Amino acid sequence: MARALRSPALWIALVLLLLAVSLPWWVSAYILGVLTVSYYFGVFAMAWDLLFGFANEVNFGPTFLIGLGAYTAGILDNTLGPPIFVCVAAGALVAMIGGVLLALPALRLRGPYFGLVTLVAVLLLQNAIVIFASVTGGEIGMNVNDILSVNAVTNYWIALVFIAVCGALLFGLSRSAVGLILQASGQDAIEAAALGFNVTKHKLAAFCVSALFSGLAGAMLVFYEGTASVGTVIDIAIAVQIIIAAVLGGRRTILGPAIGAIILVLAGEELRQLGQLNTFVVSAVALAVILFFPDGLLGHLLRRGERG
Amino acid sequence: MLALQILIDGFAISALYGLGAVGFTLLFGVSGVLNLAHGGIMVIAALIGWQAAGGLGLGTWLGSAVGVLAALVASYATYFVVVRPIQRSRAIPREETEIFVLTGTLLWGIMIQVGMAYFYSDNPVTMRPLIDGVTNIAGVRTPTNEILIAVISWVAIGLLWLLVNRTRAGKALLAASINPRGLVLLGFELDRIYLMVWTIYGVLAGIAGVLLASFLGVGTSNIGNLTASAFSIVVMGGLGSVSGSLVAAYVVGYLETFTAYEIAPTLRPIPALILLVLVVYLRPQGLLGRR
Amino acid sequence: MSKQGWLRPTLFAGAAAFAFATAAQAEEPIRIGVIGEESAVAGASLTRAAAMAADDINAHGGVAGRKIELFTYDDHSSAADAVRAFQRAVSQDHVVAVVATYISEVALALEPWSARLHIPFITTGAASNEISRQVHEHYDRFKYTFHGWLTSAFIAQSICDAEHDLLVEPFRMKTAVIMSEDAAWTTPLDVRYEECLPKAGLQVLDHIRFNPDTTDFAPIFRQIEAKKPDVIITGISHVGVQPTVQWRDQQVPIPMAGQSSQATTSTFWKDTNGAANGVITASAAAPGVAITPLTIPFSEAYQKRFGDSPSYSGYTTYDAIHVLADAVKRAGSTDADKLVAAMEQTDMVGTVGRWQFYGRNDQFTHAIKYGPGLITGVTLQWQDGKQVTLWPAGAANGKVKFPSFIHLPAASN
Repeated sequence: MARALRSPALWIALVLLLLAVSLPWWVSAYILGVLTVSYYFGVFAMAWDLLFGFANEVNFGPTFLIGLGAYTAGILDNTLGPPIFVCVAAGALVAMIGGVLLALPALRLRGPYFGLVTLVAVLLLQNAIVIFASVTGGEIGMNVNDILSVNAVTNYWIALVFIAVCGALLFGLSRSAVGLILQASGQDAIEAAALGFNVTKHKLAAFCVSALFSGLAGAMLVFYEGTASVGTVIDIAIAVQIIIAAVLGGRRTILGPAIGAIILVLAGEELRQLGQLNTFVVSAVALAVILFFPDGLLGHLLRRGERG
Repeated sequence: MLALQILIDGFAISALYGLGAVGFTLLFGVSGVLNLAHGGIMVIAALIGWQAAGGLGLGTWLGSAVGVLAALVASYATYFVVVRPIQRSRAIPREETEIFVLTGTLLWGIMIQVGMAYFYSDNPVTMRPLIDGVTNIAGVRTPTNEILIAVISWVAIGLLWLLVNRTRAGKALLAASINPRGLVLLGFELDRIYLMVWTIYGVLAGIAGVLLASFLGVGTSNIGNLTASAFSIVVMGGLGSVSGSLVAAYVVGYLETFTAYEIAPTLRPIPALILLVLVVYLRPQGLLGRR
Repeated sequence: MSKQGWLRPTLFAGAAAFAFATAAQAEEPIRIGVIGEESAVAGASLTRAAAMAADDINAHGGVAGRKIELFTYDDHSSAADAVRAFQRAVSQDHVVAVVATYISEVALALEPWSARLHIPFITTGAASNEISRQVHEHYDRFKYTFHGWLTSAFIAQSICDAEHDLLVEPFRMKTAVIMSEDAAWTTPLDVRYEECLPKAGLQVLDHIRFNPDTTDFAPIFRQIEAKKPDVIITGISHVGVQPTVQWRDQQVPIPMAGQSSQATTSTFWKDTNGAANGVITASAAAPGVAITPLTIPFSEAYQKRFGDSPSYSGYTTYDAIHVLADAVKRAGSTDADKLVAAMEQTDMVGTVGRWQFYGRNDQFTHAIKYGPGLITGVTLQWQDGKQVTLWPAGAANGKVKFPSFIHLPAASN
């Protein structure tokens, strides 16, 4: 615990959190709306970073888990209509099951095959959604009848609390004993196994946690926007955005990806005025980030801090 | 009668799938790059070829050649602008290079899709058939163009086989896919080999794109599916195995065609997907892949 | 100064201030949001036609002195993107109404937001019956939504009426197969097809719905051919180029008629390298046909400005902006409820016909009224590179002509 408190990343995050809390008093409803979406994206990115940073497993299909959570929650709401929190919980649960099903074959593989399997999972889900279009709305998407709130400020608070809680949990996990074991298993699996740790079991656990948070955030996003579609929760492009957010913010820091996600979503919205080409510009900038700043913001800052 | 229809239609579509997949898997086998901008490069060939053939009045054959050239340029751009800088970047730790290359090609693919849609809209385009008219094969009315496309696909694959197995340069390619370090020790420059494989890849993807435009029609909205399809076939056949990809292409092509005819057109992609899941669970290295 | 002394100047000052304030209010532009799909031909037509309409209205002095200001967004054919654009338009850009999309799924995603945010919303290309059904069943909630194009039910009806006049009578066609993409707008379309085609004289032999992602149509055409129908009645919008080209390449001997939205655009001939020859489709309007005195001037001006003739959504969007402007003028305000009430009283001649909306007690509340003298759309056929209008008889400028590989029922000739 003390170790966690000494992390500069945590202090940066706390400052930003305070800033975020003050926003509803001086910022427009529209900007609050964009930030709300960005907070959910932040949870996506943090969940991804847990898996990557600590289990050293690059998941190219975070959207498989997010999509499972989102669509389960949405379809449940449309067919049976239980209260929102039940749908969200169901979404998170199904995402976790999906995570286990994905992890089982994936963890047996090395190198590019792992990433491959995760990509295949996304393709499969995408196809399943399109084929069962009568239930899922197919390519263009489906509506859910209930949403969290019409009020932008209420939605903002819900999202802010959500990202703060998830962030605290994920960050705490990453700095805990379990987290350290995961990190060790990730960096050097053989040594970790030699020390007696069950590497596979720990990686599976990381997968489950990542899946749980991804699915949870996905379901919440659906009830914020009132729609779910392949293009917003499953498409490979979304997976790429999450990875970019993590790279931009700084891999292996948990909090960096959250910041990266917020910046990415804000930038994307700002560029909406470019019309058709906003995706192009965002992708080009992301490519530039990969080429020239692969350490990301927080990574850069922390590295400077270490040297200084 | 129905069986013959399935046989013929399945053959043509499988040949085209095979052509697309072979380039993809060769690229991975030799240079270790999974090019997720694959669909984008194919569609560049189709769109530029269509414009050259019609808008610029060059006619079908010349227009197609221009399309293939465009794919070659796009292939080089992918290598020199995206892949090579990432591979050489000192800021990226070695074990993470693959991830970054994959993400980079994915982003590049998105840029291609949006960029081309800006100029051409997302409507599919078609190349005029290389040969007009229909042929009657034992009572099955088949567009002659379809037969020609299957022939061209196999000629291209055959030429590739000749190149890889009978020429010195080709054998170096093969060796590079098995043991790059050994090759360097023997005095070969890996850079020239990589350049060669990206050239071959560009030509193959270009031909596949142009033929697809002629056979079915293709547009920027198909890019994602094209990459996904090539990717699935390559996974099933075994990453890096050219013969594996061909076998898998035919399996997938016939599965899809059979499903569309006998079961329902809406369920067309399902059996191939189920097969993909089975392969991933039971034999993740694919049919003929190396572990 | 005496009491009367300062009273008059004050009153005068007050009156002047009041007049100044109202004048300033009158200067404020009327903000309208436009959400289209720039990469799709129909979606791009939408935003361009809106710009033209705004320019035309402003050139004639605006609406009671107020200019129209458009805020345009691209939703990339995604419902979620459209929702975010809608939210931005309302909270950030403060629009008073939104004109959007030709995709039914997107329109259906925007409808609840129009209800939640109390913003008048008119879709100018989508077709699903659901759009107006929701207004009918939950009027107080959904009354802000208007359906600015024919509902699928009426599109199907117009096609049945047209094919009866064009195919059943002259060519003695008796049987048909319905071929439609699996999408929100075709579900009610197909239901109505199954009802009205037999009444028009065409027995429905089979009904094929295919995945909108389909690229290989050979199995579908072969399946249809095996049933030996006289005509294929289509319901396609997401696809168009691919099935048409393959129909020609495979020389499927059965004509295609019905609704093929992509075939309504002028670039379709080029996109299909002429495979469109002989394709019959319903549309809002066609080049050279004066449905109303406004039709041809609009399409010519559009052609001059943008290089292509407008898609069907271009005509409807041009009209829809005028409908909104007209409603603002009659309501004397941009208040949402007053605007809705004014829109319900619309009776305006546009480029596609006479615009009136169904009322609260009609089945398709807030959808365009269908019928002769109002709006029916036209049926056209591609012949030798041109769109020839075949129906209704009053607008027709040509006769049905089929390519040589089509086999017609033996009794005609």
